[in-house]
Amino acid sequence: MIQLTNIEKYYANKGVKNYVLRLVTTTINQGEFVSIMGPSGAGKSTLLNIIGMLEEPTYGIYNFLGEDVTNLNERKRIELYRNHIGFVFQAYHLIDEMTVYENIEAPLLYKKVGSAERASRIADLLDRFNMVAKKDLFPNQLSGGQQQLVGIARALAAQPSIILADEPTGNLQSAQAEEIMSLFKKLNEEEGITIIQVTHSEKNAQYGSRILHIADGLIKEDMAVVA
Amino acid sequence: MFKLNLKIALRNLWKHKGFTLINVGGLAIGMACCLMLLLYVNYEWSFDKQYKNADKVYFATLNLKYNGKLATTMAVPNKLANAAMIELPGIKNAARISMPGNFRLFSHDQNHFKLEALSADPSFLQILGQKFIYGNPETALAEPNNVLINASTAKKLFGNQNPLGQLITYDNKVSLKVSAVIEDLPKNQTIRFDVLQPWAFYEQENPAEKGYGWGAITCLTLLQLKDNADFTATNAAIKNFIVNKESDLKEMTYQLFLFPLAKFHLYDHFENGKSAGGKIDQLRLFVFLAICVLFIACINYMNLSTAKSEKRAREVGVRKALGSTRNTIMGQFMIESLLLSVIAMAIAFITLELSLPYFNNLLNISIKIDYSSYPFWVLLLSMILITGLLAGSYPAFYLSSFIPVKVLKGFKSSTGSLSIRKTLVVLQFSLSICMIISAIVIYSQIQHLKNKPLGFDQTALAQIDLEGEWTKPEKLALFKNELQRSGAIMAATEYAGSFTGGGSITSDISWPGKPKNDVSIIHYRSTGFDFAKTTGVKIVAGRDLDPRFPADTATSLLLNQTAVKAMGLKNPVGTVIHWGDNPPLKVIGVVQDYSNESLASKIQPTVYYYNIKTSRVLLLKLSPAQSLSTSVEAIKSVSTRLNPAYPVEVKMISQGMAEKLQSEKLLSVLSNLFGSFAIFISCLGLLGLALYTAEQRSKEISIRKVLGANLSDILVLLNKDFMKLVVISNVIAIPIAYILVAKWLEKYDYKISINPWPFLLALFTSVLIALVTVSMQTFKVAKANAVDALKYE
Repeated sequence: MIQLTNIEKYYANKGVKNYVLRLVTTTINQGEFVSIMGPSGAGKSTLLNIIGMLEEPTYGIYNFLGEDVTNLNERKRIELYRNHIGFVFQAYHLIDEMTVYENIEAPLLYKKVGSAERASRIADLLDRFNMVAKKDLFPNQLSGGQQQLVGIARALAAQPSIILADEPTGNLQSAQAEEIMSLFKKLNEEEGITIIQVTHSEKNAQYGSRILHIADGLIKEDMAVVA
Repeated sequence: MFKLNLKIALRNLWKHKGFTLINVGGLAIGMACCLMLLLYVNYEWSFDKQYKNADKVYFATLNLKYNGKLATTMAVPNKLANAAMIELPGIKNAARISMPGNFRLFSHDQNHFKLEALSADPSFLQILGQKFIYGNPETALAEPNNVLINASTAKKLFGNQNPLGQLITYDNKVSLKVSAVIEDLPKNQTIRFDVLQPWAFYEQENPAEKGYGWGAITCLTLLQLKDNADFTATNAAIKNFIVNKESDLKEMTYQLFLFPLAKFHLYDHFENGKSAGGKIDQLRLFVFLAICVLFIACINYMNLSTAKSEKRAREVGVRKALGSTRNTIMGQFMIESLLLSVIAMAIAFITLELSLPYFNNLLNISIKIDYSSYPFWVLLLSMILITGLLAGSYPAFYLSSFIPVKVLKGFKSSTGSLSIRKTLVVLQFSLSICMIISAIVIYSQIQHLKNKPLGFDQTALAQIDLEGEWTKPEKLALFKNELQRSGAIMAATEYAGSFTGGGSITSDISWPGKPKNDVSIIHYRSTGFDFAKTTGVKIVAGRDLDPRFPADTATSLLLNQTAVKAMGLKNPVGTVIHWGDNPPLKVIGVVQDYSNESLASKIQPTVYYYNIKTSRVLLLKLSPAQSLSTSVEAIKSVSTRLNPAYPVEVKMISQGMAEKLQSEKLLSVLSNLFGSFAIFISCLGLLGLALYTAEQRSKEISIRKVLGANLSDILVLLNKDFMKLVVISNVIAIPIAYILVAKWLEKYDYKISINPWPFLLALFTSVLIALVTVSMQTFKVAKANAVDALKYE
């Protein structure tokens, strides 16, 4: 599904190249649950951003669903966002001016899903996440864990084939974190959604099926999780 | 999508109430100012455009040599209308109109009123269609004693009776029959009258009129061209019409041209025989001002919206990651600005409607909003759209350009965008500073004209018209005596015409040493005895006209200083002067120059001679011992007793002098009013920028405070940048303002010299206002608890 070949990313500063990623080559298949781990500044988030096409690599080839997306124009990229990729952020990044319901609805509107279909999907998601009673609240009226649930619900609304999560539990207490991680695991196992998450926590990484250890921009270790 | 965007826009506006208030307030003020100015411009623009044939009607306009220069006047020979009608093929209709400003007594039963009477050929009613209530245009002016009145005159004279066929007495002697009643003239009509009489009647009253040749310019003439007539050909044919009739006049040029009636109100200034603007210049200025104020308000909105960008950046990032296109995001911001623009327009509109009566009152005009006219609604809608789009465009472009990964990681606004904002603020402030400087200069010029020594004493100086019994010298003498005895007045003298108005001119005076080909124009005014005593004008040489010298009633003259200079007389007193067929006249005194006709232009050379028969007004020096109202009451009661047929009207000269500055006052009021609004809106903009900076730098400030900076250090740090902007604005604005005001002052003969203080004052004011505005915000930030800002991150 995702094929990275010799991906490099550096920032040139006064002629000195500061490498963030070096010769990253890996393949992630449909249905995998990959955790990217590594110390601060190792390039985890950059790798995730490149996978999410939020950043472009300096060198290298990136194939997404068999298509070269290294230099994709904006229109095509937006198309991919709408249909294939769901983002979950560490800081939730819900839109403050929208209610829970509207936040979940937003990607469906961009995707131009019909109103009946929209209503049923949102109702389904709210139901699944036990948020029905909270659908008219604004993000600042929710706890962090609840906000992240909305964030995930929003990511799922467009029925993506892959979810990219950048430290989804970084701002949460451990109980809430566990809840989110079990949810990811369930989504991965029951619905076959590919999940790629960046995390610091060994424990969280154990929920997944594969761990990529990154240090100094290089993949140091690529191991499967033994259940 | 649209509905959601709208809903979110509303929520956004509601959530940031302060911002919304500043934004809507600024836009509303800007729009209200802009609308008000445009309404005023439209009012002036609409003058004389209401006639059906407006584009075919012209004034016959005359260029003639006057004091060595080409002067232009609408006064033409009375022979022109008929001759042109017969001889020029392109002309459909022609009508003579008597010179305006002729107020006469009209009475019916016990109702006596002084009304403005105009005499015109019957074809006048064909050329300019009037709205008839009674009567019809064919017969209205058919007989010499017919009279056409307007509705309010009818109401005054006849109450609610049908006036048609009723009799009116003219000047207490002639009986006239009301032949027609028309609706009141709209205020935006140049040719004004209460009463319209046939030209034939005018000739009866002024028998000399018929005998005048081609050289006498005594009336206005309106010409209507045929629908298929070629303007250029007719204009060329009429050029030498007069000199072809009488070649002697070639010496004084006497060339005619056609000037559109519809342009007369706005283009009434002529230079060198050519149209050279007039009121239109002021209107252009107002249109420019209107656009500036609206533009300043829009800049404000841009600044405030982009200042909020920190808060909005994340939203943009998330939306983009969710699959929103840039256009959708731009749409969102556009909807917000349009929504705001609609709200602002609603407020502006209400403000406008409420303040219109005051505005009308202030400027003595009558502007009404015509709700049934679609251009008005088009203007309103397009203003909403333009404002919304203009104000929303930059925020939309700027905010939608954010790159998701950057803003989601933590927003750092690039310095580039700030410099655009800074440029906008500089632009805004430069415009405002220009307005402040202009307002100060206009104000001081008016004060300069107002406070200029007039050369006569305008306090307690009044005038009444000489009519009815007062045309008999013995009655007039009795009246003056009675007034003096009653203690109402100190002195009185007859005078040629209204003291603050113009008067007659001649080129027929010669003096010792006058060059042969000199055709200098000299003004002349008749007066009675005690001229200097009444008006307070100083006699600088010789003496005043005096009843003790019998010659003074026949052959004595007074000159003013300008006349002495113009004639180049060394010892004016005793000089003998020749004037037409009169016996030789002797100069007995020189009066100091005084400005009574115009405050702004040069004093004209003038001679004064004794003649109470040709004098039309009586000047009265009211007694300072009595209150003004007591004196006026006394004059009224004496007058009613001795001259019962004519209601007396006491006019104060000081009032007439104040009216001379009407146009300057208008400019001053508008520039002050809208200049201060512009400044106010600009301050809102600055406040926005200060908010932005404070938000941006709150962390930096907290760190500095933790490191030991005190309040004043931080205030200086924050205010420094803003003061730089204001100073740059001044550097830009001052030279521009200098050029503008210097150009404006050019038209005044008496003007202030441009000194640095208006500029310094503007500099000082702008810096002070900016300092106060910015400090309000920065002080809050500087005082804030450092921990609060540092805790998050």
